[in-house]
Amino acid sequence: MKRIRSSIIDGVGFDLVLVGIPLVFLILFSGLPLVYNVLMSFQEVDLFSLGEVFRPFVGLKNYRALFAQPEFWPIMWNTVIFVFCSIGGQFIVGFGLAVFFNTGFRGSTFIRGLFLVSWVMPGLVVGATWNWILAGDFGVLNYLLSSIGVISENIFWRSDINYSLWAVIITNIWLGTAFNMILLSVGLAGIPKDLYEAASLDGATAFQKFWTITVPMMRSTTGAVISLGLIFTLQQFDLFAAITGGGPANSSNVAQYWAWELSFRQYDFARGATISTIMIAVVMVASVFYVRSTRHEVRG
Amino acid sequence: MMTPHLNRIYLGAAIVFAIIYLFPLYWMYVTALKSGSEIFAYPPTFIPKDPQWGVFSHVWDVRGMGRFIWNSLVIATGTMILVAGLGTGCSYVLARYRNIWIDVALFLVLMLQVLPASLMITPLFVGFSAVGLLDYPRFAVILAVTAKAMPFFVILVRATFMAVPAELEEAALVDGNSRVGAFVSVVLPLARNGVLVSAILIFMQAFGEFVYSKSIIQDVNLQPASVGLNAFMGPNTVEWNNIMAYATIYVTPILAAFVLLQQRIVAGLTSGALK
Repeated sequence: MKRIRSSIIDGVGFDLVLVGIPLVFLILFSGLPLVYNVLMSFQEVDLFSLGEVFRPFVGLKNYRALFAQPEFWPIMWNTVIFVFCSIGGQFIVGFGLAVFFNTGFRGSTFIRGLFLVSWVMPGLVVGATWNWILAGDFGVLNYLLSSIGVISENIFWRSDINYSLWAVIITNIWLGTAFNMILLSVGLAGIPKDLYEAASLDGATAFQKFWTITVPMMRSTTGAVISLGLIFTLQQFDLFAAITGGGPANSSNVAQYWAWELSFRQYDFARGATISTIMIAVVMVASVFYVRSTRHEVRG
Repeated sequence: MMTPHLNRIYLGAAIVFAIIYLFPLYWMYVTALKSGSEIFAYPPTFIPKDPQWGVFSHVWDVRGMGRFIWNSLVIATGTMILVAGLGTGCSYVLARYRNIWIDVALFLVLMLQVLPASLMITPLFVGFSAVGLLDYPRFAVILAVTAKAMPFFVILVRATFMAVPAELEEAALVDGNSRVGAFVSVVLPLARNGVLVSAILIFMQAFGEFVYSKSIIQDVNLQPASVGLNAFMGPNTVEWNNIMAYATIYVTPILAAFVLLQQRIVAGLTSGALK
């Protein structure tokens, strides 16, 4: 007993305690639910058996039932569009801004930091604000678009099934651009300046320098930022809750919102767990890419 | 490097970009100040004609915001304390050694960071109901948010500890300190800023948390401000000035803290998140 005590105060035990307690906590509240989720997706769950661990096993019934639902494929396709367009928009705008701020004019650091307010705002506040901006009759976005002549009649962003998903995508691009920009700025700052100087001496134009130095040197950062973007985009829930609620008629529903709806609106926890299991598998694959692209830095 | 003239052009362009980007925030503030009829004016007014400064106390009373904000504070404070208490020591050990076990632990932490809350809530809710934690809903939310936020904290703070020279700790050990003593009196003070900034980031995240609170806390008296805001936005609402006033009250303290700590937060993020 005394040896254990002295080891904790002045030995390897100290390290083990510091790592062990948080690890046990994470296993209890992250790892265990993860396993439980997979287990539930193979079980029959109803409100009466909610408190039990061992419920009747039904094999792949939940998966088959889920795939057979008419909204399954449209929602999956929405998820793909949402993820692809959000990441694309965030990355392109974020990269442009990062290159611009990387010129290092006076005041660039301060103004660049201001962009991050979009990232610290609660998701519900961002959603509420954009909900109002995107309003059909009185929304300021419709007013601005029509006054510069892009649209001739108001777009009902939230209630038109052709636009509802785009309402959330636009908001999500706004939300994520700043974070993308900051991460990309780190990568840009890491490119040795003498490469550019050498290229200038050889008479390269700004455009040539961008394609032959900036783009190749940013490859590993880009990989990390895009896989992080995939992870964050698949976590996006608040904007759906605040702007469209997945509607109308599931036109803006995505997998992560649907999973929650199945569990907490329709109380079908088994199907909720099933779609969660599928999506968590997708996220896991993305995070392996993320870890791989940052591995040398992690070891650093 | 840059001529003053060019510098001015770039600065001007940067300010224009910032104004465009931050327009939604501006729109939230001006909408809050407009009257109930002015918000539906066409074309919209970009500066309120008759600012309604009383809207904030009105919304605060009518929506019972004191209770909502208090609950958000409880959840955010509890999460921050639990995350910092558990995560600081963990990040220290993960920064101090470099071997295969540390790599495995880091990999696990990174993997846990990516699990979406809206997918994890189903098993967490069912599990919490099985062990009776749903009777203490705010505590249950704190536990869930802590598990979600801790990996991020560990990654940020680990970068801070890596910047503390190991020689200082070794010197303290040679001077007769125990491991605990060296950690508390030498390493921790040197990493204080990084730990503090990361803890504030966790506080901000937990202050805006929505999914777990919405699903776990049924009693309206225990719900945080995010759930209250969600309930305020019915599908056919016309009270946009009041909703924006609610959002303003909710978000302004966070924005103020962010602007004050901006440089440190950005520095912490850029050193931790990617490297």
